[in-house]
Amino acid sequence: MAKSRLYRILSRIIDIKSGEEIIASLLFLYFFFIMFPYYIIKPYRDAKYLYEMGSRELPYAYLSTAIIVGIFVAFYSRLQARISRNVLIISSLVLFTLTCLLSWKLFRNRELTWMPLAFWVWANLVIVVLGTQFWILVNDVFNPREAKRLIGFFGSGGLLGGIFGALLTGVVGKRHPEILLLIASGLMLFSIFIVNFIFIWQRKKNPSIDKIIDKDKEGGSKPEKVGFIDSFNTIRKNRYLALLAVVVILTFMVATFIDYQSKTVIDIKVKRIDEYTEIFGYFHALLLVLPFLVSIFMTSTIIKRFGIRLTLMLFPLILLLCSGGIFVAPIFILAIAIKTSDKTLSFSLNQFVRELLYIPISPELKYKAKVFIDMFLNRFAKGLGALMLMIFLLPIFRGEERPDALIEVNALDRSSLTEKTEVLKKPDILKKTEGSPLTDESEAIDRRIRRVKIVSGFSLFFILIWIFFNLKVSKEYTRTVKNKLTIKWDRADRMVAEKLDVDYTKLVFDTIESRNRSSILYAMHIFDLIKQDKLTPEVKKLISYKSDEVKVSSLRGLFESGEIALLPETDEIISEDVLEKEIGEIMSLDVYQEVMKSYVENALRDESMESETARMEVAKAIGLMESESPLAEKLGELLWDESPEVSKYALESAAKLRKKEYVPALIKKLFNPITREDASVALEKYGDRVIGALSDYLSDRDEDIELRKGTASVLARIGTQDAGDCLMWELEEGKGEIDTELIDALDRIRSEKPGVQFREDIVETKILREIKKYCLTFIKHFGTKSKRKKAEMTKGLPEELNVSLMNVFKLFGFIYLREDIMRAYQNIQVGTKDSVDYAIELLDNTLKKEMREIVIPLMEDLALDERVKRCRNCLKDFSRPNRKNA
Amino acid sequence: MEINAREKEDIVIFDIEGEIRRSDISDITLHQLVKDQLDSGKRNILLNFQNVEFIDSFGVGEILASYISTNNLGGKLKIAKISKKLYLVFQVTMLTKVLEIFDDEEVALDSFDKE
Repeated sequence: MAKSRLYRILSRIIDIKSGEEIIASLLFLYFFFIMFPYYIIKPYRDAKYLYEMGSRELPYAYLSTAIIVGIFVAFYSRLQARISRNVLIISSLVLFTLTCLLSWKLFRNRELTWMPLAFWVWANLVIVVLGTQFWILVNDVFNPREAKRLIGFFGSGGLLGGIFGALLTGVVGKRHPEILLLIASGLMLFSIFIVNFIFIWQRKKNPSIDKIIDKDKEGGSKPEKVGFIDSFNTIRKNRYLALLAVVVILTFMVATFIDYQSKTVIDIKVKRIDEYTEIFGYFHALLLVLPFLVSIFMTSTIIKRFGIRLTLMLFPLILLLCSGGIFVAPIFILAIAIKTSDKTLSFSLNQFVRELLYIPISPELKYKAKVFIDMFLNRFAKGLGALMLMIFLLPIFRGEERPDALIEVNALDRSSLTEKTEVLKKPDILKKTEGSPLTDESEAIDRRIRRVKIVSGFSLFFILIWIFFNLKVSKEYTRTVKNKLTIKWDRADRMVAEKLDVDYTKLVFDTIESRNRSSILYAMHIFDLIKQDKLTPEVKKLISYKSDEVKVSSLRGLFESGEIALLPETDEIISEDVLEKEIGEIMSLDVYQEVMKSYVENALRDESMESETARMEVAKAIGLMESESPLAEKLGELLWDESPEVSKYALESAAKLRKKEYVPALIKKLFNPITREDASVALEKYGDRVIGALSDYLSDRDEDIELRKGTASVLARIGTQDAGDCLMWELEEGKGEIDTELIDALDRIRSEKPGVQFREDIVETKILREIKKYCLTFIKHFGTKSKRKKAEMTKGLPEELNVSLMNVFKLFGFIYLREDIMRAYQNIQVGTKDSVDYAIELLDNTLKKEMREIVIPLMEDLALDERVKRCRNCLKDFSRPNRKNA
Repeated sequence: MEINAREKEDIVIFDIEGEIRRSDISDITLHQLVKDQLDSGKRNILLNFQNVEFIDSFGVGEILASYISTNNLGGKLKIAKISKKLYLVFQVTMLTKVLEIFDDEEVALDSFDKE
């Protein structure tokens, strides 16, 4: 695919893939044109309100906003369920553009005293609705992997819009404040066009999207419940959403505490109003630029490098440190540090990671929950935070000083220079509390320090709870990502073992087969069936017919055919216990052993075809004897019989008698593909007793490789911890020639016996070796500039690469939850683009950092050249000291 | 026993003729043939049993081993045109619970596409 100029420019600053440049740029612009007007509207709102109503009236504004937003969430949820997302977003933008114009018109009429309050509420609705809609659109467009790479970029669009908005307000607001709203509505108009382009892009990429959306809206026969209560219940009933809601509440509550801490400490330090102006002037400018720089240059890198979990921890941990510092020593520099961290990271990192958490949620839950959380819950949390502050500080305030610090804090918390100017025009807000009963300044400072310490203490407590819930939500995020991936297949050996009694199946086939060959063998097989309590009426009927006589079309037809059964009437004469006892007694008689000895010797000497049947009979009969009986000694000879049929019965009997001296012969039989399966079954029956012998053959480099592979398979069938240890030991010590078989054998044990543990250090070393092998093979095949070789890529990866990759994942399954690893592997192998991305996301949240850094770059959907480059980089990494063992 | 392989739209079809018995194996087993195809990257295998008269326990082992090897790699192994008498034995021994068996080769081939 030809790479566009836009891609080439963007790829220099962000991790973008070809084809993503248009949508990423559109989203950047969309966010830019939402935040640009908002940062004009916001200071205008504050200035108008504070100037015309005064700061004392702020609680009314907060309260009105909370009530109106609450009502609006209910209304918006209903609307969202009824009309398509595209229509909803565009009509919201049109509505806000028109109402912005209307506000400009109404503000010209100075008699409308209610206007500042109405505008305050309206401005809050603007950011709530437009912000939520933007993030919902991001959720629609990207999967977690894409969003992780690009969120820093298009998120920075909003922050840049904020900077532009604030600067423009500062410049224009001084001379022509009346035109600010006109500019804002003009800018919103741009966002309508941009969002329309986004929908066109979506339709091009996914033509069925409209149908899907329409289908969503039509739903089933029963109309979907929507509304405030329903949204609340949706969150309450879903563990992940509930955790997300708790995290949002804690985030905003802590933000309120942090705000109070920083501003009170600054308040203690700063004595004069011009000092405020100087500090906050620079400070606010810094707080606008820093998040933008972090967002565009660092956010995606941090998320990619540390993953969702650690990135979620980063922000509260920094706040924890600063808050702890303020608790110990409430000094000015810590106040600046905490405020800077808060403002910088909450916009550029914490909010973006939180938005990523919504992506794996199913759309129907996501839209309900997101509207409720973003529009209502975060405001509720802010209010709750403020209420808690009042409660914490009430004992100190009581009878001493009015709690105006809270109001001062809110008045100062404006992120535009203009607003600052507006606020500073009203010295009554910022003046120290003149006429306060406290005349002693040092006493007042002490009291403020006490306040800060109390709030810092509570802040530390809530940050710790926040960290705890961040951990919980990140774990739940991994589970949610996992649920997006389906298991495509499971190990078939386990499934066959669960669904089928293989020994019985083979016995039935052998019984039918023996019917044509020998009545003695046939009788012995029937005896086996009786012993296993498997001689059901169906089987009895089936084996009654010679194999070539079974011509009926169905089982039912067979049973009704009325042909004469050749099976003896066993029901009448056989009681299985009696029969087994009698046969055992006969066979253990000395005289029987004596008489049969010469017969057996004759059969062994005779090499004619007729004798083959006799040897088969003898081999089978020995399995019915005691292991100490003299004839059992003859089994060793029969095990080496040239006839595979004789050998088969001898192996079967060896499995029953389980004598030590048969073991070498049984292991040698693993070499021959005809006897391998029977020998494996026989050795498996020995269990742990045979592991030592198998281990000797497994590690013997001079032994035939097929035989060694066979021993690995038998150890997997035995499947005990000792068998696993033996395989693991060989995996560590071996030269790699049977690694695939060893890894498969261990994987079988892992899938059937999850309790068996493997040594992590050996597994990790082996993973690194396999990855190295994978990279070398990849470069060998595709590292050349040969067009022919490159063309081979279209035919898929060479099988050795597939095997290598499969080995890597099986190895991961030994030290991580196998089910998760296999889910990821299978979806990477055969999934859709989204499934592949979700699979990588699952790995990103499951593997340890050092493994993640090596594996994930190799898994991502990349162009051939880029993949070769990554393989080369990966090999370079292996030369690092800590990876030398690979 | 004779086994011939042919390919149809990425599906390898093994036409088996005779009886799958341990005494009839000369040089290479069915399982080995299937593994060779898996090693070359094929993942869909169809065993055409039209000319299979009977199988013994070794044959059952070979089919199951082939099935396991194919499925463990995410592939599919199916059987077509099995004789009625064999199908009967497969039913009684519950092999039909594990193996997908089709009367018609075309239907069997189509079933790979649907998955």
